[in-house]
Amino acid sequence: MITIDNLEKFYRTEEVQTVALNKLSFQVKEGEFVAIMGPSGCGKSTLLNILGLLDDPDGGSFVFNGTEVSGFNERKRANLRKHNIGFVFQSFNLIDELTVFENVELPLIYTGVKTADRKTRVHEVLEKMGIMHRRNHFPQQLSGGQQQRVAVARAVVNNPKLILADEPTGNLDSSNGNEVMDLLTELNEAGTTIIMVTHSEHDAKYSHRIIRMLDGEKVTENVLV
Amino acid sequence: MIKNYIKTAWRNLLKNKVYSILNILGLAISLACFILIALYVVDELSYDRFHEKAERIYRINSDITMGESQSLPFTSDMMGPTMKQDYPQVEEFVRIYTSNGSKLLRKGNEFIQENRVAHADSTIFEVFTLPLIAGDPDTALKDPRSVVISESAAQKYFSSVDVLGETLETIQGTEYKITGLMQDIPSNSHFRFDFLFSMDNDIYRFGNHISHNFHTYLLLREGTTAQEIEAKFNDYMDRYVMPVAKQVLNINSRKEFEDAGNKLEYSLFPITRIHLYSDRVMEIRPGGDIQYVYIFSAVALFILLIACINFMNLSTARSAGRAREVGIRKVLGSARKQLIQQFLSEAMLMAALAMFLAVGITYLSLPAFNEIAAKTLSIQRIFQPDILVFLLVLPFLVGLLAGSYPALFLSGFKPVQVLKGNLNLGAKGGTFRNVLVVFQFATSIILIIGTIVVYQQLDYIQNKNLGFNKEQVIVVNETHVLGQQAPTFKNEVLEMTGIKNGTLSGYLPVSGSSRSDNTFSKEAVMSTESSFGMQQWIIDEDYIPTMGMELVQGRNFSKKFSTDSTAVILNESAAKIFGPGDVVGKKIYRVSNFETGELTSYEIIGVVKNFHFETLRQNIGPLGFMLGNSTGLASFKVNAANISQVLIGIEQKWESMSTGMPFSYRFMDEAFDEMYRTEQRLGKIALIFSLLAILVACLGLFGLSTFIAEKRIKEIGIRKILGASVNGLVQMLSKDFLKLVIIAFVVATPLAWYAMNQWLQDFVYRIEISWLYFAAAGFLALSIALATVSYHAVKAAMMNPAKNLRSE
Ligand SMILES: Nc1ncnc2c1ncn2[C@@H]1O[C@H](COP(=O)(O)OP(=O)(O)OP(=O)(O)O)[C@@H](O)[C@H]1O
Ligand SMILES: [Mg+2]
Repeated sequence: MITIDNLEKFYRTEEVQTVALNKLSFQVKEGEFVAIMGPSGCGKSTLLNILGLLDDPDGGSFVFNGTEVSGFNERKRANLRKHNIGFVFQSFNLIDELTVFENVELPLIYTGVKTADRKTRVHEVLEKMGIMHRRNHFPQQLSGGQQQRVAVARAVVNNPKLILADEPTGNLDSSNGNEVMDLLTELNEAGTTIIMVTHSEHDAKYSHRIIRMLDGEKVTENVLV
Repeated sequence: MIKNYIKTAWRNLLKNKVYSILNILGLAISLACFILIALYVVDELSYDRFHEKAERIYRINSDITMGESQSLPFTSDMMGPTMKQDYPQVEEFVRIYTSNGSKLLRKGNEFIQENRVAHADSTIFEVFTLPLIAGDPDTALKDPRSVVISESAAQKYFSSVDVLGETLETIQGTEYKITGLMQDIPSNSHFRFDFLFSMDNDIYRFGNHISHNFHTYLLLREGTTAQEIEAKFNDYMDRYVMPVAKQVLNINSRKEFEDAGNKLEYSLFPITRIHLYSDRVMEIRPGGDIQYVYIFSAVALFILLIACINFMNLSTARSAGRAREVGIRKVLGSARKQLIQQFLSEAMLMAALAMFLAVGITYLSLPAFNEIAAKTLSIQRIFQPDILVFLLVLPFLVGLLAGSYPALFLSGFKPVQVLKGNLNLGAKGGTFRNVLVVFQFATSIILIIGTIVVYQQLDYIQNKNLGFNKEQVIVVNETHVLGQQAPTFKNEVLEMTGIKNGTLSGYLPVSGSSRSDNTFSKEAVMSTESSFGMQQWIIDEDYIPTMGMELVQGRNFSKKFSTDSTAVILNESAAKIFGPGDVVGKKIYRVSNFETGELTSYEIIGVVKNFHFETLRQNIGPLGFMLGNSTGLASFKVNAANISQVLIGIEQKWESMSTGMPFSYRFMDEAFDEMYRTEQRLGKIALIFSLLAILVACLGLFGLSTFIAEKRIKEIGIRKILGASVNGLVQMLSKDFLKLVIIAFVVATPLAWYAMNQWLQDFVYRIEISWLYFAAAGFLALSIALATVSYHAVKAAMMNPAKNLRSE
């Protein structure tokens, strides 16, 4: 599903040029659950942003579903993104002004789903995430775990083929964290490809394969059972 | 989708109350200004357009130079009929004769002074659209003793509209039969009469081609242009005017007349332009001025722009708060276009709310505005389709104007940067924001300087040495109704305590008194070289001392000299016509018989120091005083502390001598102020709008400083812990804004200087613009800005630093 080859990303500030990704290559197959690990600053988030079509690489190739997407313009990327990719962030990133229901509904609005269908689909996924009873609450009225479940619900409501999660449990205690990891596993078992950045060896064990990075390069790959 | 936008917009509005209130309030105030000015402008532009044939109606203007130039809205009484008779392109003519502008009409036992009176040809109903409720428009004014009155007049005199066949009696005892009842003439008309008397009235038959006293209107045939008719005026002059002029001026041809520097020119003026474009004195009603229409429109636009800028600045300044939302929406698949739409709908929602509020503010402030602008605008006017459509569209336009920059700015955020949260958003767009703040303050400062200059000029006019003393002079109106008894009245009032001096004369150096222009010669023949135009005022011996005028040569009129009936006292401008040196003892001549061309001579016995008898917009022209009976007004110089006591005395005297005539008086200084009503109105309106502009700009500044203070709260905390003083912090936070105000001042100064200098050109007598005005305006703007900004600076600087840091 994803093939990256010699992917490069640089950040230029006034004095120094940081190499965030240094000729990184790997593949992710459809239905896989991959964890990405590495010390702070090694380029994990940068990688995820590129995989999520939020950012453009400076070199190398990125083939998504058989299409070379590096060099796509913002509009093309947005279009591809909204139909295929769901995001889960460490800091949840819910819109404070919208209710739980409305937050989850947003991706459907952007992909042009009709009102009636939106309602059933949002209800369906809220049901599955166990937060149906909270649908009219605003994000601040929820606990961290609940907020992250809303974020996951929002990520999956469009039935994306790929979910990108950047430290999804980073702001959660262990029991809430485990709940979110269980949700991701369920989704993966239902066929969704998942790429997750994490600092936690515990969470990484939920995945099929761990890619370890250092200074923008892949150092090892362990395949778990 | 739209629903989603509006929902988010609404919640955002509620969530950021301070921001929303500042924005909506600023927009509402400026929209209210905008609506008020729009109503004013629409009214000004609508004058005389209600006449169905308005596009074909022209008034004949005359420009006459004989010694002195005169621009009159008059022609002779013969010109109208002659034009119609000789030139088939002229479909119809109307003459309006306003004589001295008022009549005393009997109601029961008393007489009421009516100012809205005129004599008019019966064709007035054919040419103009003045619908009659009763009576036949074709014949209503045919009979010499007929009058058509308005509905209000009918109610006033008869408490009924069933008045056909009733009679109205003037003070002279003439009875007029009411032959028509007309609808009240709308206020947006250059004439508003309540009484139209027949023109076929022997007293007003002049019958010559050179006395210019009639407002003459021509209705041109369909397809005839004004130029075609104007091309005929030379022919008209040669055939009708020159033969008479030859007799009076001893000239043989028009060329000779013109070679001597004289001029007589007629032109056509479209009636729809009279109100705004005519600058002729002696118009039937004082007009407006297109310049002020432009100025007010510009002011309205600028105030609206200031409010839009507030919106832009506040939206982009608080973008940090919105950036995360933008990022998330983009991650979830929103295209930039959709975000732009979202932000625009937010701006429009806000503008729409502001518009509601603005209509309310307009409704509440309209009476006060009407008072100041001397209008009768009605709030109902905004619900008529033309303005309503405009008001409905306006929020969208304002939303677009105010919202597009923030929309482009906000929707341009890259989700990667934003979600990471390390983007210094406040700094972005800072330069542009600064430019906008400078623009706002420059505009406000220009308005303040403008207001100061207008007020200074008014003050100058009021305190200028006018050449006469207008203080403590009571003018009793309509004293001619006392007839033979007028001098007795004057003498008896003079005996009362508290009265210093008094004079009988209809001629006063303020508006609302008589003027009379005549042609004189400095030699015993009327030649084009020797003749000059001059005001000829009839006064009595007490006039010059009562008015506090100063004689620079010769003496005043005196009862001791019986020859003074053929003497004249000139003003300095008239004396100058004789060249330098003493003029006392010289003579001036005037035609006393137009048939024979016979001249009468007047000996110059004195020269009075120039005094301003027209407004300070004009130069002082030649003027001569002659001794005689002019009993129109009685003026008394009072030297009592208790003026009301004196007034009661005069009124009692009046009542004992006049039989039921109303007593009316005015103070001369107030009559003088009348002449500057337009400027006073302009001054007040300018003051109000410039204060509003500053207020709206400060709302924006207040909002901006709120966000800046919030953004820097952590920095402030750290600085405090490190030992910064409150003073130092306030300075640090205010400095940036004050710099902007100073730049605005530098930008505004030359622009304001140029604009106000232009305005002052209208006055022959005017102030010099002083640097003090600029200093005052700059100081005012700076203080207001400082007060606004330092509120937050002080608040932030006083806060407990530990709390600030914890809240991070
Ligand atoms: N906008 C930027 N400008 C300059 N340098 C950047 C920028 N974003 C990231 N970097 C640099 O690129 C490198 C990789 O950053 P990245 O955020 O991908 O790290 P990470 O692996 O996600 O770290 P963490 O585990 O702390 O989240 C770092 O050295 C970082 O300093
Ligand atoms: Mg990271």
